Amino acid sequence: MLIIKKYIPLAIVTIVGLLTLATYYVPAKASSAYLSTLNQWEVIVSGFAFLLGLISLLMTHYKKIAKRVDGWGYSLFVFIGFFAVVIPGIISHGAQAKDGVLTSLGWAFRYLYNPLAATMFAVLAFYIVSTAFRSFRIKSVQAFVLFIAAFILILGNVPAGQMLWDAMLGWTGICGIGDIIQWIMQVPSVAAKRGIMIGITIGAAVTSLKIIFGIERQYMGRD
Amino acid sequence: MENSMSIILGGWLSAGLTIFLFSFLYKDNPLFKIAEHLYLGVGMGWWFIVLLYGTWIPKAYEPFMQGEYVLIIPVLLGLSLVTQFIPRISWISRYGFTFIMGYGAGLVLPLNLATDFMAQIAGTIKPFSQLASMSWGAIINSFLIAIGAVCVLAYFYFSVEHKGIVKKASNIGIYFLMIYFGASFGNTVMARFSLLYGRFDLLYDFSGASYAFATPIIIILTVGFFALKHFMDKKKNSGAAQP
Amino acid sequence: MKDKLRRFLRIDRRWIFLLLTAVMVWPIIHPFGLSGKTSQQSVRDFYDFVEKLKPGQAVILGTDYDPSTKPELHPQAVAALRHLFSKDVRVLILTFISGAPGMIEELNQTVPAEYGKEYGKDYVIMPYNPNYMAAMTQMSIDIYKAYDKDAEGNDVRGMPVMAGIKTYKDIAGVIEITGTGMLDAWVAYAGDKYGVPIIGGTTAISQLGFGPYLQNKQIRGLVGGMRGASEYETLISKPGKATSGIDALNMAHLLVILLILSSNLILLVIKEK
Repeated sequence: MLIIKKYIPLAIVTIVGLLTLATYYVPAKASSAYLSTLNQWEVIVSGFAFLLGLISLLMTHYKKIAKRVDGWGYSLFVFIGFFAVVIPGIISHGAQAKDGVLTSLGWAFRYLYNPLAATMFAVLAFYIVSTAFRSFRIKSVQAFVLFIAAFILILGNVPAGQMLWDAMLGWTGICGIGDIIQWIMQVPSVAAKRGIMIGITIGAAVTSLKIIFGIERQYMGRD
Repeated sequence: MENSMSIILGGWLSAGLTIFLFSFLYKDNPLFKIAEHLYLGVGMGWWFIVLLYGTWIPKAYEPFMQGEYVLIIPVLLGLSLVTQFIPRISWISRYGFTFIMGYGAGLVLPLNLATDFMAQIAGTIKPFSQLASMSWGAIINSFLIAIGAVCVLAYFYFSVEHKGIVKKASNIGIYFLMIYFGASFGNTVMARFSLLYGRFDLLYDFSGASYAFATPIIIILTVGFFALKHFMDKKKNSGAAQP
Repeated sequence: MKDKLRRFLRIDRRWIFLLLTAVMVWPIIHPFGLSGKTSQQSVRDFYDFVEKLKPGQAVILGTDYDPSTKPELHPQAVAALRHLFSKDVRVLILTFISGAPGMIEELNQTVPAEYGKEYGKDYVIMPYNPNYMAAMTQMSIDIYKAYDKDAEGNDVRGMPVMAGIKTYKDIAGVIEITGTGMLDAWVAYAGDKYGVPIIGGTTAISQLGFGPYLQNKQIRGLVGGMRGASEYETLISKPGKATSGIDALNMAHLLVILLILSSNLILLVIKEK
């Protein structure tokens, strides 16, 4: 039983991992055929991964409704929303427009999904402003550096700020705020991001190898 | 579907949901909660439809029906994932997960090493082979990038104790990171405002006669709802205080 | 006096929310038309890349964004598609993000008609594909293994837009508009490995992170956020949604600066940490 439960899955990860790794370095016809097949399979398998999320969301809210827990009425709206897209989707066979006219699915996307998704993220703008007012404080030299960089970007990212800068400092003949932003983006932030990038890649490479050789197997759950 | 009635209806729905979500800024309330739960359902429903007609039918069902029976393997691997929900046989899902992990790890490893490791080291060193043709400014900048990247790495390098030269380097690294995070914050501010502008712009569009004044009417109704709720809560509280 | 200032610092944040709403809605109702004239180097590089394409060449346009980042990225996609069509370049539109097909449909309903472009001959829309790694590597071997049908289920092999296209070798470049990791993915899977030129459009939040790729020319040009989009619109002389949004951005940015300065000044006066 242990073979079926543990060793075969571990063999799958090692064999699939090593073969896929090899395709990068072996430019043979067989390796591209292998990659083609696996790519096609992966698209299908990862499609099912979505089902996991869907089932768990619907189950959670179904339980809330069945047990009549506090606020269960809101859970009904999860189902209403789900079917408000799925039913038109099935009726119009997944097409959003036919001959340039929106189908019921296209309509649901534009007037239902669009405003909900867009507003969820737009609300954050309000909080960033109140945070800027309440907690953007200069408490140390490091915080001061962060503050200056942020301030320059906020000012220089819009034409009004660029004009303000020119009006106040233009007479000194030092460079425009656009040039400073360009420099920040091309020099110190490249250095910082590159350091982060290299660091992360080393970490990710080690993790990948651990997965392939079955050392890292937390994702498999407990034995 | 696309006649003027359906467009007006769409405008009302759009404006209403937008305003309901914004109403959270005043305080948590049922209108917001309804819109929030709708979002969960709608998002999942959309994803489901896109996968059904973009992947499952054309990539699995149709080829299988045309005789590509080998596709039963990925379908079984995919289905195995769903056993997660049945604790007694949840180990079956390992077959699907190990396939995904093995494939992902094997594919990502060499590409990331090439793109985010080798290419970045090469890009840092390369300018120094062309110093003769570079301006003083460019030379200084190249040095700054190289020093900065090394110092930031020192900051993230936890395997050795941070003292002596490593400590000095990592201290310098912090300043590069601070500039990066500060600048990122500045850009985040712009990004958030852009998204908010998008919503306001649309609400403005929906406020006109062509949408039967959706925005102003819904705003007035929402404010009325809050006033009524405030009034009722007050009455209930005073009723509770004087039994 | 100090008490008043202290109280001002603890003001109910809903007043700030209201103020922000007012300063942003005002220019939407009464536009000032205050837009920038200069453009960033990386935006000019993006523009130059498209400008140098020859009629008949084929380009992949990756549109990997959904409504949550639409105000920043949709204007970029519109401008890029307009620019490509004006150069008579063939366009293959792809996506790996589930919310994007709706955005693509909006593009499809507006831009091609402006340039008299025909579906299947001048451009094609591929179906959503949940696995970018698979699709991107597959296209290096055979594009039709990844995409044999278009988004509506029609066979793409016979379409004139696909004539002579089999792998990345037949593609003049990839233009990726996204706020996700998809631009990084194109760099790794197509750019670095197969030498396809990669050009990007991204959100302001992600923009700085691409600095190292830009410096290395792993990305040949980059448009960042609404600011970048408005600069690009100016370069192609087609002002759109990004340009008209700059007024509201101006006001909101000035408000933030005022708030940050005033709160720090107050702290200085009342000497509190």
